[in-house]
Amino acid sequence: MANNTSALLQVDGFPLALDRLYHPETHMWIALSGPASAPTARIGIDALGVETSGTLAQLSLPDTGTGLAAGRPFGQLEAAKFVGPLVSPVAGTVTAVNHAVAADPGLAERDPYGEGWLIEARLTGPVCEQTGLLADPEEIRQWFAAKLADYRLKGVIAG
Amino acid sequence: MPEELRIIDFGRVSPLRSQTTWHAVAYGVSEGAPATLSFARPSHPYVCVGYHRDLAEVDRDYCRSNGLPVYRRMVGGGPVYLDSGQLFFQITLPAAAVSPSRVEALRVLLAPAVAAFRAAGVDARLDDDGEICVGDRKICGHGAGQIEDAVVVCGNLIERFDHERAAGVLAVPDKEQRAQTLDLMRRYVSATAVDPERFRASLTTAYAAALGLAPVSGSLTSAERARLAKLDERFSSEEWLAGPARTPSARPRQVKVRAGVWTFSAVSGPAWVAASVVRDVVTAARLRAPGLNGRTEAAQRAITGVSLAQVPDVLAAFGEPGRQLAAAFAAADGKRV
Repeated sequence: MANNTSALLQVDGFPLALDRLYHPETHMWIALSGPASAPTARIGIDALGVETSGTLAQLSLPDTGTGLAAGRPFGQLEAAKFVGPLVSPVAGTVTAVNHAVAADPGLAERDPYGEGWLIEARLTGPVCEQTGLLADPEEIRQWFAAKLADYRLKGVIAG
Repeated sequence: MPEELRIIDFGRVSPLRSQTTWHAVAYGVSEGAPATLSFARPSHPYVCVGYHRDLAEVDRDYCRSNGLPVYRRMVGGGPVYLDSGQLFFQITLPAAAVSPSRVEALRVLLAPAVAAFRAAGVDARLDDDGEICVGDRKICGHGAGQIEDAVVVCGNLIERFDHERAAGVLAVPDKEQRAQTLDLMRRYVSATAVDPERFRASLTTAYAAALGLAPVSGSLTSAERARLAKLDERFSSEEWLAGPARTPSARPRQVKVRAGVWTFSAVSGPAWVAASVVRDVVTAARLRAPGLNGRTEAAQRAITGVSLAQVPDVLAAFGEPGRQLAAAFAAADGKRV
């Protein structure tokens, strides 16, 4: 699957790629390829998700062939001795795992939309059946900016 | 009426139950049980490894010969030695009640523990690295995790600490790193002489106040007891102990003693280094590289007291062996110990 992170927008100091879908609650992104009826998705975590995690120490990712259920964990992330789930935004089957990011989680910090991708999956249905995803670039930009402002207001991330 | 903070004191329990009890609570809170502050003291010594960590970081031969069982927990951190000289506590809340920032969540959920230490007469503080300290000495180990829809933060009151065993259970590639790790543990990890009953009462008061909840003595629900039986089985299995599938780390063997204080042992070609690092400064080093020709001690002295960032420049004065040693240093990453 080709990387396409050339269209990175800077939103108040945080990069945002507009060429993909986002799950607004989990900060996971989904980059689609292949036919609309049976798309393949590359999945990663966005820059705000990385920021709120802290310095990533460990990542555990599933094996290829593992089933994904929307809203259920597909792996775990550890930062600051805090282990938490990586929640799948879509249903499907894992077809590839980024072993480079598993060996060096810092990749997800340095290049969250590119080399820091986590897994690829064959989706079980058209993406329109995957609920709760943001697809419109302007909607994504507004959501990201609002989330960033909210996190700063609440002290979740540094101002 | 404020909502309830359930208080469960599991008392003195087996090593296995000193883990599985509070994991069962986390599943219970995830399914709607009230926020819970729990306590447990292991009846016998054992070793516990953090969720992600490689079992190879534990010296299994040492553990076997000392009768120490090994379990894997669902929260973070490295392999640790636990015994009856440590009183463990866990605060467990619905995930929705916790900040999405892990660092902030830990700061908020460890602050009551600091207050409890202070109420018990200990001059504790939460330092900039998120460790509970007196001065620069860590006095409380902690770890955290999200289990289903509950967040749990664990900590301990270290009444007595067996530094030798704590270092002994760690698998390290050479005796030099073990010696340096033990030195740093003795320097940076301390027990605190606090009456555990007083600490338990202070902790209950502090968490109840911080969370705006009313402490109520409680016990496991029937669903939690059923989960406990399953967790006993899971945590006793070799499959669980082996941990999640992992890609081998590119990093050398690094041991964190407390935040900002760590040792590592690394090889680059024919060069070998074992070093201690405190706040990014090398505080001890043993080096080996062909070609140093009697300058080994001089190289060790030259980098002691030097920041990690400056080590390559300092070692450059030692020619090709110095460059090989610098490459070994470069493999270490203190941010991700």
